[in-house]
Amino acid sequence: MSGLSLLLRAARAAFPPGARQLRTGGLRSAYAKELFLGKLRKEEVFPYPEISNEELEEINQFVGPVEKFFSEEVDSTKIDQDAKIPPETLKGLKSLGLFGMQVPEEYGGLGLSNTMYARLGEITSLDASIAVTLAAHQAIGLKGILMAGTDEQKAKYLPKLASGEHIAAFCLTEPGSGSDAASIQSRATMSEDGKSFLLNGSKIWISNGGLADIFTVFARTEVVDKDGAKKDKISAFIVERAFGGVTNGKPEDKLGIRGSNTCEVHFENTKVPVENVIGEVGGGFKVAMNILNSGRFSMGSASAGMIKKLIEMTAEYACTRKQFNKKLSDFGLIQEKFTLMAVKAYVMESMAYLTAGMMDRPGVPDCSVEAAMVKVFSSEGAWICVSEALQVLGGLGYMKDYPYERYLRDSRILLIFEGTNEILRMYIALTGMQYAGKILTGKIKYVLTTC
Amino acid sequence: MNCVRKLLLARELSAGRGILRQAAPGRDLPWLQESSCAQGFWPVPVRSIRSGAALSRSDLVPSARGDKEKDRGSRDGALVPFDELFERACKGDRNKASFSRAVELFCQRDIRRRGHIEFINAALRKMPEFGVERELDVYNKILDVFPKEVFVPRNFIQRMFNYYPRQQECGIHVLEQMENYGIMPNKQTKFLLLQIFGEKSHPVRKYQRLMYWFPKFKHANPYPVPAALLQDPVDLARFSLQRIAADLSAKVTVYQMPLTDILDDGKEITQLHIVGIQSPDQQELLARHNPARPVFVEGPFPLWLKKTCVYYYILRGEPLPPEEKEEVIDSERNFYYPMQLDLDLDRDLWDNEEFYVDEVEEGPVFAMCMAGAGDQATLAKWILGLQQTNPILSQTPVVFHLTPGPRELQVDLDSESGEEEIPQSWHAKQEL
Repeated sequence: MSGLSLLLRAARAAFPPGARQLRTGGLRSAYAKELFLGKLRKEEVFPYPEISNEELEEINQFVGPVEKFFSEEVDSTKIDQDAKIPPETLKGLKSLGLFGMQVPEEYGGLGLSNTMYARLGEITSLDASIAVTLAAHQAIGLKGILMAGTDEQKAKYLPKLASGEHIAAFCLTEPGSGSDAASIQSRATMSEDGKSFLLNGSKIWISNGGLADIFTVFARTEVVDKDGAKKDKISAFIVERAFGGVTNGKPEDKLGIRGSNTCEVHFENTKVPVENVIGEVGGGFKVAMNILNSGRFSMGSASAGMIKKLIEMTAEYACTRKQFNKKLSDFGLIQEKFTLMAVKAYVMESMAYLTAGMMDRPGVPDCSVEAAMVKVFSSEGAWICVSEALQVLGGLGYMKDYPYERYLRDSRILLIFEGTNEILRMYIALTGMQYAGKILTGKIKYVLTTC
Repeated sequence: MNCVRKLLLARELSAGRGILRQAAPGRDLPWLQESSCAQGFWPVPVRSIRSGAALSRSDLVPSARGDKEKDRGSRDGALVPFDELFERACKGDRNKASFSRAVELFCQRDIRRRGHIEFINAALRKMPEFGVERELDVYNKILDVFPKEVFVPRNFIQRMFNYYPRQQECGIHVLEQMENYGIMPNKQTKFLLLQIFGEKSHPVRKYQRLMYWFPKFKHANPYPVPAALLQDPVDLARFSLQRIAADLSAKVTVYQMPLTDILDDGKEITQLHIVGIQSPDQQELLARHNPARPVFVEGPFPLWLKKTCVYYYILRGEPLPPEEKEEVIDSERNFYYPMQLDLDLDRDLWDNEEFYVDEVEEGPVFAMCMAGAGDQATLAKWILGLQQTNPILSQTPVVFHLTPGPRELQVDLDSESGEEEIPQSWHAKQEL
């Protein structure tokens, strides 16, 4: 067991440091997966991945104006009531460059690393509708082009997307396929001249569906196997609204994140040129998996930011309100609630930045399991902490005059979208066991053949 | 209480003296007369004590009333002692009233209740004939036959040494019969047992055990068969098919109601009922069935509901050979997690796969039915009815594998006719 790891370490040390960037991942940052083998990879987590001083200054430069914007010009109550983000707010966000945080600078974006993205996510999460609109646009909407797109596609679409002129949306869910995403029925048939696809289907619950101009759509295509057998495989397409045939329904009336535009999108014989296929025809599975697994970690810092704000507001209340001639903060149970919120916020924050730091390391690290863990813990922790914060305020927390009920409603969606917690738990367990199982069966085989 | 005890003791002693005296029967010796004089003070009339050659207690029962002499005469050491008592009491009509009358007859006959153990054993044997084996008050009446407080141990020596062992065994027999028929005893039973045998006696211990386990078992069956079973064959078929199916969404269809038609020319046509059941899952399975492969109608299979046996037929297909089993899950089936962990774990030396008879794979069962008659024509009507909801049956070949069903055992001495007994199904199978 230790022999293998020694071998690997020797092999890794044999490479010069610059050559690390050639590796396509796999063994690096397999921190969570190694836990399934009973091994703690201390070098991944100790020391805690920290950013350099220049990066720190850069972030602080960004954080200031964004915080100012959010505290002054974003009226969350109004957004929640009208179920709409006012266009001035959107313009302000666009001018701050928040629509292209992870787009590289050559395409007009900010080119932030994962850690910086997480840091800004902490601030944008103060208004959940804006956070979800931004996440749907960049964490999943344009990530496909960013990760798996060709240079022409990137050059064509990313600049406008980064500036916010076009908004992106991610279209995967259908009425019959939520978590069972591979059973989608939308179809893209090749036209006779072989130069375009005709896209037919309908998608539901698409965030930014009403505002978006660029959609990342997943549909079934007929692929001919190398054996000659015809199979139905899923492919990813970049679809512009300008292609025609794209209609969307009216915005859904939701429990929370009411400012985010969620609606049905229908595609009727939409002509998609062959150049707009992301990856290759029939390779939509990989594209979807990479997109879904990469955007999750920022939920940790977003929830942590929200809880920190809540602790601030709730602590103020608990220290001023007096019952039975004692301040609320003198009661043990109230103190326990604050402890819970503080602990959870700390864990969420550290998990999110640890994962972001691991992803920021050179190479293409595979932190999908860690990201899933972050999502599961943060979503559940946020739901519980918001509930406890509301409880501290008692009846006042229940009133619409205070923002707690809005935070509660907004945080409920965290357990559902971006992969339901139940599915992610299965993912963490099964992926870890598959990894551990492969290694262990390999070792058994080795032992059996040599002995 | 003491005077009653003394009375009973005196009676015992005199009865014991009667046993000891095996001398000439019917002779009243002077010292016996003395005791009878002594007993004359008692308000109860003196009974003459007879000692007989046989030790059987039934012989020792003194006749207080002369008109009962003829009863004694008939009972002269017969192997089944109390049968005629029951015969006489029932007067041809065997029911609870006559049984209670028989028991009362015995009780009134002798205050000492001699022969009560044999009587109780005979009564327990006779209960199924009279149809009272499930009546609790009859059991209480039988327990009432025991003389009270005689068998209660009064000091530690008696308690140590299994006081009145035959009586205790007899009490246990009564409770055992109650247990076999599943009848829960009540407070009166407890009171009787305590009065007869005292606490810490075997029958009382058995009663306590009954009262511990029976409440647990009473509601243990999640699917109990109601005691009063339905009479109408269609209703009975519906009830039992729903019991077999165990799928709450299964639908019961009556393909044919039983009726007797008399045509114009006097000929009678009797139609027997056909009731079928199929669940949506079975319908889907049948829809996906390959029409080139045949489906089989098999039956009849027995289903026992308490004491009635009903028969049902099934429509089933063959299990697919391993090549045709569609089990391959695409590795790209699930975006979020791997549905199949492809780890090739080899079997070790001690992990051999044995063949377990109970785990033989069976093919899918597509539908079930209950019909009045088990011949091919009736079941063909069932298949026709099924075709309306499962159109694939019209293209699938249906093979009937019917056993002859329940019939009397035929003791055939002729070897030639023995061949005819081979059921049709064998021939059918050979033809296939």
